[in-house]
Amino acid sequence: MPVGLIRKDGTHVANTVIGSSIVIDGEISGDEDLVIQGTVKGKISLRESLYVEGSGVVEADIETQNVEIAGRVTGNIQATDKVELKADCRVVGDVKAPRILIADGASFKGNVDMDVKER
Amino acid sequence: MAKDLVVGGNTVIGPSILINGKLTGDEDLTVRGRVEGELSLTRTLIVEPSGVVKANVSVKNAVVSGVVVGNIQATESVELTHEGRMVGDIRSPRVIIVDGASFRGRVDMGELPPGRTLPERSARPQLRPTVRSLPAPPPRPAVAATPAKGAGTGASAAGRKPGGMPGIVRPEMPRPPVAPPAPPVVAAGAKKKVVLKKKK
Repeated sequence: MPVGLIRKDGTHVANTVIGSSIVIDGEISGDEDLVIQGTVKGKISLRESLYVEGSGVVEADIETQNVEIAGRVTGNIQATDKVELKADCRVVGDVKAPRILIADGASFKGNVDMDVKER
Repeated sequence: MAKDLVVGGNTVIGPSILINGKLTGDEDLTVRGRVEGELSLTRTLIVEPSGVVKANVSVKNAVVSGVVVGNIQATESVELTHEGRMVGDIRSPRVIIVDGASFRGRVDMGELPPGRTLPERSARPQLRPTVRSLPAPPPRPAVAATPAKGAGTGASAAGRKPGGMPGIVRPEMPRPPVAPPAPPVVAAGAKKKVVLKKKK
């Protein structure tokens, strides 16, 4: 799958894009990458990657394989693979994933659970 | 940023995506997956052949090539393409249903359409008058010009509107069709010409 393809201008190549003026209040589910430039409230569950771009605002619980966040997210995030909080993002909520990356400049408040099974 | 270009109206719901709830926005939306609930845009909704919308839709324009179950209210137009299938009511000043489209429901073009079609009607007539006026002027000068050139028949040219061609004599011919040789009222100049033609 073309997960995480990025154009020269930094935007993601994906079949599904929620544009900046779009507001969704409800539930989004699917089997493909999703790029959010607008606002989503409710719940997001994907089997692929979620990209919340700089203009994106998410007030939802998220269940995906990968998440990359450059915008604002309020809600709990659960990923089967990786959660990446990029610089300038603002995240409030609990994050649970085997791999969690928090970049310098990211703003985050919540619990982190990397599900370390050794404990 | 080039991002802004992308942002400009590039919302796409991919084929495997299901959105359940309320969706609003100020940009074009292309649906290749499923949207259920409520959908309102200030611009155009495009439901592609793989797209399914089960929602009450309120948009400016809607182009349906996929499936829509629910009512569509559009401020401008609704188009069902040949692949479009829809069950529900359409309320829009312009409704286009193409051959091949499948539709069951009511159509309400509102009370405004007559007011809106009037300008269209007036626009078409506007074309006609211009078309009429365009061809009309040229003949007149032509008629005026030919008699002026053929100054010899100046007297007859004054009274004859239809005949501008070399057969200036002809206009008088139809009046006494059966009796061309009849020389009763014909002017002297005309007589001579008629005789000349007959000889030819």
